Amino acid sequence: MRIAAALAVAALAAILRLRAVALLPIDYDEDDYLRGGLEYAAAIQRGDWAALTQLNYRPEHPALHKLAYGLALAPFPPATVPDRPTTAAPAPSLPQPHLYVARLVSAFFGTLQVLVLALISPVAGLFLAISTWAVKYTSQAMLEGIPSFTSLLVVACYARGRIRGWRWLALSGAALGLTAASKYLYCVAGAAVAVHWLASTAPRRGARSKVALWRWLRPVLLWAVLAVAVFAAADPYLWPDPVGRLRDSVFFHPYYTQSQAVQSLNMPFWQTLALLFSSVPWHRSVFLVALDPLVTLLAAIGLFGRKEPRLWVTWLVVAAAFLLVWPTKWPQYLLCLLAPVCYLGAAALARWVAMLERAWAARGDWHWRPAWPSSASWIGLRRALPWLIPGLAAAGLLLIYPMIYQFAISLTDLQATSIRDGVTGGVWREVWLGLTGQVSPVTPSALGHGPATRVHYAGPGLLAQVLLSIDEVLAFEIVWTVLAVGTQAALGLGVALLLNRRGVRFTGWWRTLYILPWAVPEFVAALSWSHILEPRFGWLRLATAPWAQQAPALARASAGWMARTDQALLLLLMAALWYGFPFMCLAASAGLRMIPHELHEAAWMDGAGAWTRFRYVTWPLLAPLLVPALLIRAIGAFNQFYLFVVLRPPHPLATLATISYTQFASNRQYAVSAAINTVTVAILLGLVLWFEHKSRASEGLTYA
Amino acid sequence: MHRLSASRQALCQAALLLVGIFVLLPLWSLSRLALDGAIKSVPTAFMLWPQQPTLGVFGQVWQRASQSLSFLGLLANSLWVSCLAAGLSVVMGASTAYAFARLRFAGRRVGLLSLLVGAFLPPVALMTPLYLILESLHLRDSTFGLVLVYAAFSLPFCIWNMRAAFQAAPRELEEAAALDGATPLGCFLRVALPLALPAIGTAALVAFLGAYSEFAVGWLFVENGRDVTLAMAIWGMRTMGGVPWSQIAAMAILMTLPVTAVFLVLRKALFDRMAFGSPE
Repeated sequence: MRIAAALAVAALAAILRLRAVALLPIDYDEDDYLRGGLEYAAAIQRGDWAALTQLNYRPEHPALHKLAYGLALAPFPPATVPDRPTTAAPAPSLPQPHLYVARLVSAFFGTLQVLVLALISPVAGLFLAISTWAVKYTSQAMLEGIPSFTSLLVVACYARGRIRGWRWLALSGAALGLTAASKYLYCVAGAAVAVHWLASTAPRRGARSKVALWRWLRPVLLWAVLAVAVFAAADPYLWPDPVGRLRDSVFFHPYYTQSQAVQSLNMPFWQTLALLFSSVPWHRSVFLVALDPLVTLLAAIGLFGRKEPRLWVTWLVVAAAFLLVWPTKWPQYLLCLLAPVCYLGAAALARWVAMLERAWAARGDWHWRPAWPSSASWIGLRRALPWLIPGLAAAGLLLIYPMIYQFAISLTDLQATSIRDGVTGGVWREVWLGLTGQVSPVTPSALGHGPATRVHYAGPGLLAQVLLSIDEVLAFEIVWTVLAVGTQAALGLGVALLLNRRGVRFTGWWRTLYILPWAVPEFVAALSWSHILEPRFGWLRLATAPWAQQAPALARASAGWMARTDQALLLLLMAALWYGFPFMCLAASAGLRMIPHELHEAAWMDGAGAWTRFRYVTWPLLAPLLVPALLIRAIGAFNQFYLFVVLRPPHPLATLATISYTQFASNRQYAVSAAINTVTVAILLGLVLWFEHKSRASEGLTYA
Repeated sequence: MHRLSASRQALCQAALLLVGIFVLLPLWSLSRLALDGAIKSVPTAFMLWPQQPTLGVFGQVWQRASQSLSFLGLLANSLWVSCLAAGLSVVMGASTAYAFARLRFAGRRVGLLSLLVGAFLPPVALMTPLYLILESLHLRDSTFGLVLVYAAFSLPFCIWNMRAAFQAAPRELEEAAALDGATPLGCFLRVALPLALPAIGTAALVAFLGAYSEFAVGWLFVENGRDVTLAMAIWGMRTMGGVPWSQIAAMAILMTLPVTAVFLVLRKALFDRMAFGSPE
């Protein structure tokens, strides 16, 4: 049954990849790898087997994948591809059928990868089969096909070998060797296996003798040695001069990250995260389905499941950490973590299905309660109404009607030129006509083209377009909220702990000083920081100016932080930390005062050190008290607006509120602004509902 | 554990001092600019202390703050808009908050959740529709329009916070008053309201501060220079250019000082009431 399902999934994968092989335009670097393959093919046709150890076009990547292209191309008539720089634009044309054959080789291994994953979990295989990133990069003459397949084998064989014995483990090692011989990046799977292996067999605290240590390390070392041996055997280019050529090949990559080609792109470090949450944005017609964001979302949920196999989580975390840190951010790098993403997504889905099944099985036990309120509470409403009327009237005029109106605007194309029509009833007219089907929606792409003096119905297309185009900002929002709240909580808690230590002097003075940022309006805080950070005349810039000769890098950094996303994020975080930490400090202080001192005394008497006391006494008691404050600061960070408006960091460093304001103030695209706001409201509504569901934390709301 | 050794004490103080410097850094950068009479447009050299220490810059901005208004005129606008917005939120919200605290009725839970979402909304999320609605009412370009906008921003928060205050007040007092023949309205006005007054004051203060320091939305709404508030004037000086940085800094400090003073005096009450309204 499982095999049949796996074969069906693999067949689907093959169809999607064959389609992509035929339809995809020529991409960057395809000419390079095709040329590499053709060089090998020519050597094989000549019968010059020794040449295989000397040839390797683009030697920064190991030879195996290009060799596979060469073997497949050998039966075809020779062809040549010109030598172009690695940074060149995609080649205008490439020899056929050679390109087609090379792409087929890649797609073959891509399909094999799907088959293996489908044998482990059919749903995971299905996710991988339809992943647009996997389809694209394993259907082009890139170097992704073989290593994505073998890196999956590394993990799968290891998982099986832990139960079935050393043969499978040896297979895993061999697969790692083949992976390394195809593309170095994919060895993150091997790293994940090593981490998991060492962590799960670590000897216990009491039994750390030399023998135990050796017994612990030996199998992993053997596995690694086998991998190295297979790697050396599978990369013939290394044979004449193993050390020198390997060094050149590997060290090319760190240098490349510093090159102009990579630096000038200036991608933020979470770029990979952003890509995971979107489908391939180019040549959409090639892909029949684009469910990648959904799968990623499922995987993100699966990451927190209690029962998920640690191995796959380790793989995902190791690969994601590497991609976050590594400065080169080509989209094809995503493929090294697609398999665990698909696996965890499938696991989360399976859990939900099981939950639904349980609920269905237990349906007889439900005590059905009508959702309709009982009559008593309707009487209650009648009694409460006189009290509610003033507030309801104000909220209706100032909040509820504007919210509905905003949603209506987001269904139109209202902009500066059509505002006369819009405010004299045009919005409602068009929405009515559109929803009753009397006019067909204008396509969202027509938005902003040509100043129309009349409002038009645009349908939900604009909302969809906004949702699709803000993935970068959303990814930044996540990074920003986590980092901002994390730093604020860390500093606030640290200061509170120091101030609450017995015997520390002058605490009253310090407390008064630390309260200051909280007592300053956010606008003034942002203004003072902009006086420090302004790239031409700011304090920081002027302070580093005298050292422009001795330390040009420093001067450049202080003048050009606006252009560098990572630097800009750091400085923004600093300003947000300044403004936000006093609140966390106050909250932590209030919480610390509620922890009885006797507990500390008792722990101290038992010989607990400072860290142990914090970890096992203070933290468990304090953490629940901090939840409301954390929530307030998190939403404050998510909505952060004045800081961004005043400091004007570069794209994509922006919150939803900021881009909505820009669309409104600079572009006068009222409909786009309204659509972004509608998304914001939906997200906040979801958050509030989730918190209500999870805890009563929101009862403690409010000032941020 | 009870006494810190001298070296530990020094270490703690050093860490606290480091944080203190971080806190003072932007404040000092602002004050240094405002106190320097030598800056004609932008600072050109790194300076830890003002080159020509003077209070003259404050005098300059006091007399001629913006093109059409004096500092006092701007302040009057700010106070008018902020007080009205805060007053509107509190007066319209008080009885609703009381109902949410004391009565049980259909839709109460939905109402509470909506209030929470409303309190979490960024001002920008309401800006777009309010702009168009006020435009169609010909109220957009006026201080009264600003009052309505800022009241919309603060209303949910005020209701939510006052509800917590009413809940914290002992119910028995109202029941006793009812037994003595007070009408429900009498209970509310004579018993519940006085008890919750400090908390209502805090809610009003927060609403006031929100309006007092808001500039970005107001900047888009108001076109007439006579309707500009203090925060908007500072933002205008900043974006238009041509105004010496020292004057911008001096304005910002003048605007901040009263607010900060109020915060420092009331900080304990503010924090307790604003942050952690009593649980249900």
